[in-house]
Amino acid sequence: MISDKKVLIKGNYAIAQAAINAGCQCYFGYPITPQTEIGEYLSAKMPELGRGYVCAESELGAINMVVGASATGVKAMTSSSSCAIALMQEALSYAYSDELPAVVVNVMRAGPGLGYVYPAQGDYNQAVYGGGNGDYKIIVLAPSTVQECIDYTYRAFYLAQKYRNPVMLLADGLLGQMMEPACFGEYPYPEVDVSSWALKGAKGRDGKAIYSCARDEQEHIRKIERLFAKFELIAENETSYEEDLTKDADIVLTAFGSMTRNIKAATRALREKGIKAGWFRPITLSPFPTKRIYELAKEGKDFVVVEMNMGQMFKDVKYAINGEAHVDLINRPCGEWLSVEEIVSSVEKIMGGKYANCI
Amino acid sequence: MEKNFIFAGFGGQGVLLAGTILANSFMLQGKNVTWYPCYGAEMRGGTVNCEIVVSDTEVSSVHKQDTDFALVLNQQSFDKFVKRVKAGGTIIANSTLVTESKPRTDIKYIFAPMGDIANSLGSAKVTNMVSLGVLADTCDLVSKEYLAKAVELVLGEKKKQFLPLNLKALEAGCGALV
Repeated sequence: MISDKKVLIKGNYAIAQAAINAGCQCYFGYPITPQTEIGEYLSAKMPELGRGYVCAESELGAINMVVGASATGVKAMTSSSSCAIALMQEALSYAYSDELPAVVVNVMRAGPGLGYVYPAQGDYNQAVYGGGNGDYKIIVLAPSTVQECIDYTYRAFYLAQKYRNPVMLLADGLLGQMMEPACFGEYPYPEVDVSSWALKGAKGRDGKAIYSCARDEQEHIRKIERLFAKFELIAENETSYEEDLTKDADIVLTAFGSMTRNIKAATRALREKGIKAGWFRPITLSPFPTKRIYELAKEGKDFVVVEMNMGQMFKDVKYAINGEAHVDLINRPCGEWLSVEEIVSSVEKIMGGKYANCI
Repeated sequence: MEKNFIFAGFGGQGVLLAGTILANSFMLQGKNVTWYPCYGAEMRGGTVNCEIVVSDTEVSSVHKQDTDFALVLNQQSFDKFVKRVKAGGTIIANSTLVTESKPRTDIKYIFAPMGDIANSLGSAKVTNMVSLGVLADTCDLVSKEYLAKAVELVLGEKKKQFLPLNLKALEAGCGALV
């Protein structure tokens, strides 16, 4: 499905078709609500295209198959949801250490533990800071619309290969289950040459190896420093965000993923009431747009973070602001997404409180 | 301007499909639209619903507490969603399965025997298409012509043989309130 025509499509199907368009050769997965449609779609399409589809015996199996396939340089992906992404953390640490371009999709549901199938945003920390061992960083992209599910799936495959680093697409049950008009277009990125490192058989050349085990202390230190320098380059080149009405704003509403939709509408509603509000949303949660948030805070703008968890991105925003401005949190752990009306009245309360203190 | 619709009924009555057709009709009109189903432990015979939001700008909340329009095909859905219609909103009910009652005074009620109309056309399965016709008659935002185009788009080549009956049912729904 490569077309400029808009189609009404579910987020899960959009991610799956975008993976096909991006040239994903192997998909390994295990069903879990609310992302099962990704595997369902690919189970039909991948064999038709002569590509690999395996319904793994478990999520552990699935992610380690992705690690294996990625080591051969092919584009490989798995998808799952919150509590099952938790099972994959060990392999993500390995994939980072091995510099493998694994693509992982997390369509978040409510946690902790088994939680429930409805949407939530409680995996920010799991995605950004990881549950695996050691110093490692993966790239995390957070879509807010079905169109962005497509665009960021394309970007995930490209960035993974460009930097040889695992990438996570962090969506949620709302995006996975909803339909919205979207356009696939063509995969917009160039193909990355992987021949220097991919393990495809050593016939006619010397052997190569990919391993995460350190052979001595100095080599280990050099490797970690090199990988962190690489991630600094990623931060410099790839950090992305969107903002609007921030120029003259007194207060900046901040959210990630599908909550972005609600803060955009809440900003409009606040402006109609004469409150100078703006909005800001990180597109890459890792690397995080720390610098831009600091600049805005330095200009004297206060922040409100709106998220469906107990305040996870809140800490990153607070860190970025570094004491230069106020930052408040509007949140709920899971369940009904915070409505535009709730956000507007909470912001009014926050601003009222602030001015009351000033007087 | 942003308006939302909830479609609800028994699993198997085709409310998700009817919602998909409405959402497609809005897309064909060039509007911003989202469709969101209830999901989880739903089953055949239980109740099922989906929510469609249409907007001039990007849709804000995809899933809202209250609704401008509720289209309900069975009694359980009427009882559940009559409470969630906004003051001044409209509930449209299939009176073949829903007892005509008006528990609130601040909303508009439309009752039409959608199931009976569908049966008279030869199949209770097209009750959902009849309901879309009634909706088009009730709500200015919804276009009968674009609904017909959306039915064709959603059925596609594979289910083309069902197109005439579905279009007939849509037409019959449009005339049901006259």
